[in-house]
Amino acid sequence: MATFFDQVKEMGFKQAFVAKSDEAVERLTAGMNISDIRSALRGDEPRRPNPRLRPHADGFWLHIRPSFYHNEITRVYPTFHLGWLSTFMFVWETITGIFLMIFYTPSPLIAYSNMWNILSNVPLGQLMRNMHRLGAEVMVLVVALHMLRTFVTGSYKKPRQFTWVTGMLLLVLTLMLSFSGYLLPWDQLSYWALTVFLSGAESAPAPPVINQNILLILQGGPSLGAGGLLRWYLLHVLLMPLLLGIFFFVHYYKVVLHGFSLPPGREEIGEDSAKRVPKNERTYFIPDILTSEVMWTALLSLFLVAGALWFWDAPLEHHADPVVTPLHVVAPWYLSWSQGWLKLAPKTLVIGFIPALLVAFIVMPYFEIGKSRRYADRRVGLSIAMLFIAFMMVSNWMGTPRFRVQSSPDMEVATKLLPQEGVSPILGIPPDYLWEGEYLPGQVVDGNPHLTYGLEVFAQQMVRHSCTNYPGTTIGGSVLDDCEENDHRMPDPYATMTITQVQNGLMGIDINISALDPENPDNYLYSLNWPSFRHVDSNYEEECTFINKRC
Amino acid sequence: MQVKVAIGTIALMLTMVILGYSVLREPTRLEHFAAAELGRSIETGANLYNNNCANCHGVDGKSEECYDSASGELIGCQGLPLNYQPLLCGDATDRMIAMNWQGTKQAFIQSTIASGRPGTVMPTWSDQFGGPMRPDQIRNLANFVLNWESEELCSGPVITFDWAENVEDFLAAFPDGDGANGKALFVTYGCSGCHGVPDEGVAAAVGPDLSAIAETGATRVEGQTAEQYVYHSILLPNDFIAPECPNGPCAGPPSAMPANFSLRMATNPQDMSDILAYLFGN
Repeated sequence: MATFFDQVKEMGFKQAFVAKSDEAVERLTAGMNISDIRSALRGDEPRRPNPRLRPHADGFWLHIRPSFYHNEITRVYPTFHLGWLSTFMFVWETITGIFLMIFYTPSPLIAYSNMWNILSNVPLGQLMRNMHRLGAEVMVLVVALHMLRTFVTGSYKKPRQFTWVTGMLLLVLTLMLSFSGYLLPWDQLSYWALTVFLSGAESAPAPPVINQNILLILQGGPSLGAGGLLRWYLLHVLLMPLLLGIFFFVHYYKVVLHGFSLPPGREEIGEDSAKRVPKNERTYFIPDILTSEVMWTALLSLFLVAGALWFWDAPLEHHADPVVTPLHVVAPWYLSWSQGWLKLAPKTLVIGFIPALLVAFIVMPYFEIGKSRRYADRRVGLSIAMLFIAFMMVSNWMGTPRFRVQSSPDMEVATKLLPQEGVSPILGIPPDYLWEGEYLPGQVVDGNPHLTYGLEVFAQQMVRHSCTNYPGTTIGGSVLDDCEENDHRMPDPYATMTITQVQNGLMGIDINISALDPENPDNYLYSLNWPSFRHVDSNYEEECTFINKRC
Repeated sequence: MQVKVAIGTIALMLTMVILGYSVLREPTRLEHFAAAELGRSIETGANLYNNNCANCHGVDGKSEECYDSASGELIGCQGLPLNYQPLLCGDATDRMIAMNWQGTKQAFIQSTIASGRPGTVMPTWSDQFGGPMRPDQIRNLANFVLNWESEELCSGPVITFDWAENVEDFLAAFPDGDGANGKALFVTYGCSGCHGVPDEGVAAAVGPDLSAIAETGATRVEGQTAEQYVYHSILLPNDFIAPECPNGPCAGPPSAMPANFSLRMATNPQDMSDILAYLFGN
């Protein structure tokens, strides 16, 4: 073969450069040269023999992708591209995760300060962390919707039962990946979420010797500490992604092996024609499917980058503290249903029920063997699915503190305004507007809309948690409900908020709430002093601009 | 398909523009977050200080106003002042020089909190040395203490007073003590928290009873008059431990009596004269 220099001698530099570039592109794409790519992008008919099939035959990346799809499944319905988007999210999490790994050490001594280092010292650190955390939530959502779609279109039915089994495993792995990442910042949120999880593991319906040893393995010692953090870190960055990668390939291999199932109404009942696509109903991977996938990738990337920059901020609470239990320990939203169940039934029963439910899901396609995939023929199955979704949504709501775990009313008011963790309407007041003084709920402070708003929220909270024995009493303009018998609200309370300067740049904000016992007016029924501090540089007001942290 | 190519291209370009924008605003953002980290550390430190330190070092760090953490009553401050020029002002502060400390001010304060001050009531706070606090908590506390450094604090004159060896020399330099004012000072300095109020029959709670100090004081240390003994013990409480306290023999050394009165009275040494006048009924 002629060398580049021979070619230059023969046809001049320009011609030789073009020819060489063409050759290089053809090698990189495993079969398509520059003009082939341009013709594909223009939407021309391919030349013969079709060069657009060669990357599938000779290239590594496309050899597992089919070279054509059925026309019917290339639109948004029936796949909604959820499988591809799940795959993309895994790649996205891997890339952002590796970036974060560079700045993270799994040790309780410095893990938390590493988080602040990522936020305050690593260029693009906050964006990367937000993209990783937001990506994790989106991935859980996309994978769950993918499973729902597969159920609704009946695509789990024969011969695709095993694809469903691997899909269920991938869903569980996705949840575990997301949850194992939860612990790594070593803040109060992580520490207590995992503590609740571990106490669940401890009360599984098994002999104590098994439970205790599982607990010991999961927390790496008699209590959650350095050993546990290292283990969960390794689970998060090594074992889980490895298992997910393996099952991903099994899953995708089965998808290609059986072909993409057509929309349910498209084929005869009991027939599976996915593998027999007539020539005139084919959509080729290059260029149509490829451009479609790239477009969806670009759109999701745009969503994630913009979301992580402006709309959604990953939480970072105070340093993990085993001796300070937060008022409300809340599971991540995708596990909130389990917390709801724990409020309804004994722990052991719930913890035993979850794996049982999982197994039921996994083996479902082997028992649900109705031949038809059509919606009209699956009324019972689809109705059960709807009921199950409704049940999960109610369970999720029951998992939040709104259901059955209110603490005393004075604490509820105080922690709503000055929470132990996160932001609030009072903390969100810009420092210039934190004027020293003593304020009443609902007070209007002239020239200070931020403080006035904070005091308005104070009044709303007081009204919600108070009642009166003197009908017509108001707080901040709202009339209080009359007290009933065994009322858990505060009877005719008195509340103030005091702002003082403690140090240069450090303000002290105190909430005082008291209510006398109507039966015995010498005693306080409620008496709370709730002190808090706010430094001018703490930047809560900026945190409040994200929609997941509204003040 | 052309539409898809166009949408994909536009989305990709928008993503790049947003990323470019975030790169441009990055230096400002990093500054904000560095300040926010310190700010939140100071907030956490303030909470820790209130819960663990304020009952010895005072609510404002000046060792002037201390409350018993259980009963909420005003008590004498046992600790040294922290909101205090010789601790905070300059890179090598007076206290660092006195301790021959070669490291930074931050390290001096963290290390003092972590390992305590042997020979005084200041305990070890670090969990490495058997205390209750993690390293991050000690760092937060130190940040809070350092935040007392201010122009206002550091621009004022350093107030020290050279206490005379003998009480006669000291008293000669000041007008006669005012016993009535001495009685008021006996409460505000926190003395009454441990010693009661001798002339009203309020019994001593922790420290030795002072109602007959004019007689008993002379018997404590050979060669010292009662007045000299009391004067010396207020300034240097560890030199002699009194034999009898309300709850058995007095503990020490170190004495439970704060060793910081020589500093606290330096701003107004007349207070010493007044308190002696109250105790000795002159």
